[in-house]
Order: sequence, then C-alpha cells, then structure tokens
Amino acid sequence: MPFLPSTRLMLFMLGSIGLITLPHAWHIPPLLFGFFTLLLLWRLLCIWRPHYLPNRFAVFLLMLIGIGLLYSQQHSVFGRDAGTSLFVVALGLKLLEIHGRRDVYVIVYLAFIVAVTQFLYEESILMALYILLVCGVLLATLITQNSQTPQTLAALKTSAAIIMQSLPLALVLFVLFPRLEAPHWSWLDDDTRAKSGLSNTLEPGSIAELSLSPELVFRVKFDGNLPPPSQRYWRGPIYASTDGVSWRAPPVLGRENNPDQLTFSDPSYAYTLMMEPQKQNWVFALEMPTEFGGGLRRNGLYQLITNKNPGDRAEYRLSSSPIYNTGGISKFERRENLQLPGKPSDRVVELVKQLQGQPAQPELFIGNLLQHFRQEHFHYTLSPEAMPDKPIETFLFERRAGFCSHYATAFVYLLRVAEIPARVVGGYQGGQINDVGGFLEIRQADAHAWAEAWLDGRGWVRFDPTAAIAPERIERGVNVDLQIASGAVNFSPIQLDAKTLSWLQRGRQLWQSVDYNWQRWIINYDTVNQRAFLQSLGIDNFVKLGYWLLISVAGVGGVLAWRLLRPNLRRQDPALVLYRQFCAKLGKAGLRVEIGDGPQTVAERAKELRPDLAEAIERIAATYIRLRYQNDSKIEDLRVLKMLVTSFRV
Amino acid sequence: MTEAALSLKQRLKLSRFFSGEAPTAGPIVLTQRRVFILPTQRGLAFVLLILLLVLIGFVYNNNLAYLLGFLLASIFFVTILHSFKALAGLTIQPARQQAVFAGQAGPFRFQISNPGSQPRFAVDLTLQSELSISLAAEQSQTVTLYQSTQQRGWQLPGTLTLSSTYPLGLFRAWAPLRFDSPLLVYPKPASQQLPFPDSDGGQDRPGQNRRSGDEFDGVRVYQRGDAIRQIHWKAFAKGQGVHSKYYSGASSSELWLDYQQAPGHHTEERLSQLCRWVVDAEQTGLRYGLLLPGLRLPPDNGAAHYRSCLQALALF
Repeated sequence: MPFLPSTRLMLFMLGSIGLITLPHAWHIPPLLFGFFTLLLLWRLLCIWRPHYLPNRFAVFLLMLIGIGLLYSQQHSVFGRDAGTSLFVVALGLKLLEIHGRRDVYVIVYLAFIVAVTQFLYEESILMALYILLVCGVLLATLITQNSQTPQTLAALKTSAAIIMQSLPLALVLFVLFPRLEAPHWSWLDDDTRAKSGLSNTLEPGSIAELSLSPELVFRVKFDGNLPPPSQRYWRGPIYASTDGVSWRAPPVLGRENNPDQLTFSDPSYAYTLMMEPQKQNWVFALEMPTEFGGGLRRNGLYQLITNKNPGDRAEYRLSSSPIYNTGGISKFERRENLQLPGKPSDRVVELVKQLQGQPAQPELFIGNLLQHFRQEHFHYTLSPEAMPDKPIETFLFERRAGFCSHYATAFVYLLRVAEIPARVVGGYQGGQINDVGGFLEIRQADAHAWAEAWLDGRGWVRFDPTAAIAPERIERGVNVDLQIASGAVNFSPIQLDAKTLSWLQRGRQLWQSVDYNWQRWIINYDTVNQRAFLQSLGIDNFVKLGYWLLISVAGVGGVLAWRLLRPNLRRQDPALVLYRQFCAKLGKAGLRVEIGDGPQTVAERAKELRPDLAEAIERIAATYIRLRYQNDSKIEDLRVLKMLVTSFRV
Repeated sequence: MTEAALSLKQRLKLSRFFSGEAPTAGPIVLTQRRVFILPTQRGLAFVLLILLLVLIGFVYNNNLAYLLGFLLASIFFVTILHSFKALAGLTIQPARQQAVFAGQAGPFRFQISNPGSQPRFAVDLTLQSELSISLAAEQSQTVTLYQSTQQRGWQLPGTLTLSSTYPLGLFRAWAPLRFDSPLLVYPKPASQQLPFPDSDGGQDRPGQNRRSGDEFDGVRVYQRGDAIRQIHWKAFAKGQGVHSKYYSGASSSELWLDYQQAPGHHTEERLSQLCRWVVDAEQTGLRYGLLLPGLRLPPDNGAAHYRSCLQALALF
C-alpha cells in the first residue's frame, strides 16, 4: 500500500521545517538557502498537485545540483558552516521523496539536527525559546502521524504537554551530566564572526567609533560594595610606542621574568567578571587585579591575559585593589616610556617649560598640565575635526577639542617631553548598573583611554586628563542610549532615581538581568562551574554523581509517572466522591461520621441533628444507596446526586 | 475485576510477552501486568539522534545543544509513560461469537471499552486480521476480527494483540490477550451437490427414499405446512394465487440424513456431505432429520433445527 501522507501531516512537517531553517537565512550562503527554499516550496505545492512531484531521476539530478552548490559555496563538509549547509540541503532533498512513514521520521530527525545547529550561531534566550517552540511543532508532526484522528490543536496540545513534562528531567540531566572539556579541534573552526573592541593600536577616532556602539563587552557582579564611579577603570591594552600619529602596544615578551614588586593596600573588591566573546585575549580587570584564577596570568604591563579562546564567552573570579604601588622601573622600561617620534617642536618645548615649576618636580608638572587643560578652553567632544597632520600639536594649540584618546596621547607626549616616563592605557571606564540584577554592564560605548606616569616611590600612577576637562565623563559615565541616539556624547548620573527610570529602561534592565543569569547559569555552565556547584551539594566524585543522577532521574520520573498514570488506573467511583462531599458538609454542621457508618445510619443521625434538612438528606441517601448498591442504577441518578449534593447547604 | 495473582515463574514466562496469559472468559482490564512496552526501530534511531546532539554539544562546548539533547532524552523517557497510558485501563471482553463453516474466515467479536476520561488514538488490534480504532472517552465499541478456520469443532481465538505507538511512535505498547470464547466451526460443506439419500431413517418411520430428491416436479395449490421457500412467487406475482413448488423428494414426508448412508471414505468426508445436505435441505425447505451414531435429531425445519444439526455435525 503506497503511503499517502495526509495534508495535515505534510503541513505540520513543512511548517516546522520552514520555521527551523528560517534563522539560518543569516548563516547559510544565499544560493544554498535559496535552493532549499525552492525545494520546500516545491513540496508545499505538491500537497495539492501531487503529479508535480519529481521522479527518481529528477531527484537524482537535484541531488547533483545540491552537491555542486555545496561544493562551490563551502568547499568542505566539516565545521559549523559547511555542516549546517549540508544538513539543510539534505533536508530539502529528502522532502521530495517521502515514500513511507519511515521517511517522515528521517525528515523530523534531520530537522532536529538542523535545530541544534542554530545554537552554534546564537545562544540567546530568545533563540532557545524559538527552537523549543519549533520542537513542539516537530513533535506534533509525529503525533499526527501516530494518531488516527489527528486534530491540529489536539496534536499541538499533546506535544506541549510532553515537552512540559520532559523539561524538569532535562534540567536535572543538564545540571548533573558530567561536563568534559572537549579538546579543541581546529578543523571545526570557521570563525568569521567580526567582533568590535579595542585593538593593539590606538589611533585618533578609534574609540569614538566604539563610543557609538551599545554592544556588551563584559558584566561584573561584585560580592560586596561597588567601587565608586571614579575608580571604575577596567584595564586593557597599554600603548607605549608612538610615531606621532598612532600608538602601539609594546612587546610583552620577556617582561614576565621581571621581579614583580607590586604591593597593595586595602580595600579590595571581589567580583565575578563575565566577558563576552572578544578578538583579543585581554581580560578587563578593575585596576589593579590582585587575585585571579587559573587560566589567567598577569603580565609585566599588569594586564590580565587569558589562555583560553577569547572568542568564547567566559567567566572569571577576580579581586582588585585600587590602591597599589608598582615599585621600581627598569632601564629598559624607562627608555621605552620616554620614546618620542623625533624632536619635539619649539612650541611644545616652550609649553613644557612654562608648565614646569621650580625645581622641576614631576608631580608639580602634572598638576600644572591638568590645570592647563582645565583653564585653556579645552573641550570634550566625540566628533572633533580631523587632525591628520601632527595631531598632537594641532590638538594642543589649535583645536583644543577632542575626547579621551586625544587628551591621553597629548598628555603622555608632553610628559615624555618633560622626561617623565608615561604611557597610554586603554580599557573601559564606568559602566551602567543594572538595578534588577545588581551588576554592572560595560559596553563598547564605555571604551576609554587614560594615562599612566611613573613616579619615584609610587610606581605607575594613573592620571586621567579627560577627568580634568570633563569630570562628568568619569563621575557619571556615559548614557549609552542617548549617546547613540544623538550621535554625540551625553552624560547622565549613574545612580538614577528609581522613579525617574522609565518603564522602558526598567524593562531593558530586567531583560539584561534575565540574560545575564541565562549566560551565567545556562550558557556558561562548564566544567569549572559544574565542579563548584556539585561540590556545594557534596558531590566530589563520579560514583556519587552517578548515585545522584540515578536518584534524581528516578525521583523526577516517579513523580511524573504517578501524576500521569494514577487517574488512568484508579478511577474513583463518582458517586463515592459526591457522598464524601456530602459527609464533609455534614461534618461542618457538627456531625461526626465514623468509618464504619453506613449511609443509612449517617442519614438517620443527620436527620435527628437537622430536622429542617430531613428531606434533602433522605433523598441524597436513597440516591446514593441506589447508585452504589443496586444494579439497576442509571446515569441520571448520578446527575441527580450531583445536583442534590451541590445544592445541599448546612 | 481482580485477577488471580501470578507466581514468579508464571510472571517470567517468555510466552506471556508474545502470546499472553492462559485464556480467560471474563473481561480483561489492561494494567501493567498485561501491557508491555519496547522501543520501536524509530525509537532506537531517536536514541542515536540524542547521542548525536550530545556529541555536538561536547565537540562545540555548547550547552544549549546539550540541553536539547537532554530534552529529547527526557521526551524519550516520558513517552514510555504515554505509551502505557495509550492502552492502560482499556477493558476488553469477548462478545457472542457466530458460527461459521470450516474454511471461512471466522469472525471473532470483542467489545472494547475506554472507561477513562482520555480518548485513545490509533489502537491497533491484531488477530489474524488487523484493525485500527480510536475510542473517545467513556466509549465502547464492538469490533470483529477474523481468523481462518480449518477444523470443525470449537475454535478458540488466537492471541488478540492490542498495540499502540501513540503518541510519538518511539515505543510500541502491546498487550497479548487470550480469551476463552470459542467459535463453533461447522464442517466444510462438500462441494459436490449429491442428491439426497434414499433413507429409511428411523426404525419406526420409513421416510421417502426417492432419488433425485430435489428435482422440481411441478406446482400445486399451497397447503398448510408448505415452507415459505416453496411458494411460487412468480405465479403469485402474476395474480394466479398462492401455489407451492412441488419437489419430488419433499412432497409430504420427511428426509432422513444418515451418517451410515453418507458417501465418503472417512468420517470427515461423510460429515462434510451430511453438512452439505443439511444446508441444501434447509434451503429448499425440506423437513429433515439427522442420524448420527449415538444421536438422533427428529425431522424438523427452521433456523433452530438447522443450527442444532450443524452443531451436532461440528462436534461429532
């Protein structure tokens, strides 16, 4: 007997497949996706026009075309992108040859694989919910096939019920199933994801671009108090050598062997930092990181570097202390941080001389310089005019308008002219507090550049010339949304009054908080997290884990079985249920019904107690006795009993 | 309906899984004792799918892939319960069986009721024939399934298997049931249409012993006692009054069908011939009696007599 899938089954199947592949439209080469869509629409048409179905030969030809397209677009079958395309094309081709019930299963299973490939591209909570929804439709497809009287709504309801019943067990498995660190297979890599962020070179304007990006860089949850806004400097790359226009990171090699003379004073802040995927392997710790877990190291530039793939989201436990002393400086470092691109011009030398007090003290000079920025009508703007030629001099003497990187580079340049070792530090400053989740969100718009000068006895000391000209940038942080909307810089207080927060902002914060926890507990639940979590439960070896897994699965399964199967096997006599309700009502009236009391006895005593209700009591008792103990009872009796009992009032 | 408890040995008997327990007459309620569940081929393929998803989760360190894999794994688990639910609680009892001649498909009738408040979808019933039914909540249905008959006599239905792959087709729940509700199988009527025997029947009442007993002889005016079959309807329709067709062998007296006189080399052939005669005699409206060794059914006519004659032949 040839298998003829019902229209409903086909619509369910094609619908769920359309939904499952839809988000791939952004990942799969357009040619392949178009090919797939064509096959899907073809099959859709064939529901009503079965004679348009391709024959064996045509399917073979289409397969050759598919292989050709795959080869031309992906050149491989391994890895995320090529694998995804392969499965999608296979799914499309399989749609055109459904000969039996078996093929329906092949298609549905393929669709599940395509569903899982979505997660290799996007792991947001919305995508997870979307995929869950589509899985429901896929299950409904199977239900439609396995039930004789398929009804669209009933099938969807059943599949929703099955998924809801399965979720608790899935979560138990998720938590307890041992996470093993997979070896890194390079042939699976095809990282084409472009990420924005700080780079190894600092050029005027690069941070301005970032300042218009709301993209999340990292989130920080402090164990105790938050550091004040003026101390929220998240240290990133160091820029030490310059050609006058751009600044470059110095080589890190060889510095690690330097004796670390770093000393700290209280207070210190302990926090959890969750980095979003990055290009570079910098971890933007609060200055200065004191403690950090394995997988991280602090180099001679006091940057935190991760050994893992920065393209993965990762979570770190860190401690930082804002009061620190980095100690001495080596000759090599002193030379490196005094480097200048040729001789400074006369007016620069003049300015430096003018700012140097007598005797020439670094602290005094820096104070004067910051005073100079404050007094000489320097402006903070995110959209300064281009300064292609001699940018520092143009900025200092002509334009006097710029943003953090202009101020920081000019500041460092002048310090070097004054023979004070100095360098530019890149990173992020500030961050926005999420009231709902109680964590800081740091976005690309918080990118910042400041300066560090080496002072005798104090080591490397942070100076932020931007703070001199625009203290609100430091004290209040950036209002990212406004800044992006207007394309210009805007500052707003960080500690917003709860009343002034519009519901929109509240909603955004709530969402960010949900997303943070989603990232922390679901996406980022890895070997380390799992070990910590399981240890808090007292599970420290695989045998114990096995027991726990067994016990929890059995427990959840038992509850589920009990809830699912009980009503089926033990159906209570509806008459008895109604009689019990009646007895309960009598109980309220003060009648004690003993276990051995028959309905007759109960009725007699009830009539004595409430002669006013005698008639109702008698009728209920008689109907109940007829229902329970006589063979000729009728369905109507039950209806009568129900009516009598519900209307019975004591 | 409580059933006798099973001993451990009985419980572990392999045949219980395929052909069911010893036949019972009463209604059977499907409980965990009767319902068995095993994954289907598709279910095993589903396990492979789960493994693949978990593998993807492992290779790409992707927790959501793990999560989807685990979700499918627990769906697999939950489906076991749903498979049981698809059959659990159904009550099956045999209905009155109707006799057939050997060689015909024997119809076995069962009444299936769903006392639960959930509808049952796609319950497959297999005897030798197959049937798929759906039952609404609190609904009963009588189904007829067929099984070939070879031998005359009482025939028990084979194993009636109820099965379902609802909801996802990953598991097949089945319940093999055997009922003690036999079907009476009459002997197979001989294919040759031999003339009725010249029988002298019982000792005290010699019967007609003409050959070619069912030859059409003519028409006569209807007399009381003539069978309805004999009425000449064509003549009646033409308005010629009620006449009876007159057969040579059936004019007035009775026909005796005697085992001893029946042609045939062995018992079955003789019974088969007798069966044929009974059928023919009943059809032509003769009064016929049956003589079997140790049994004597006096001549009569009509459905009840017909049945008792055939039953006597079936159980001889």
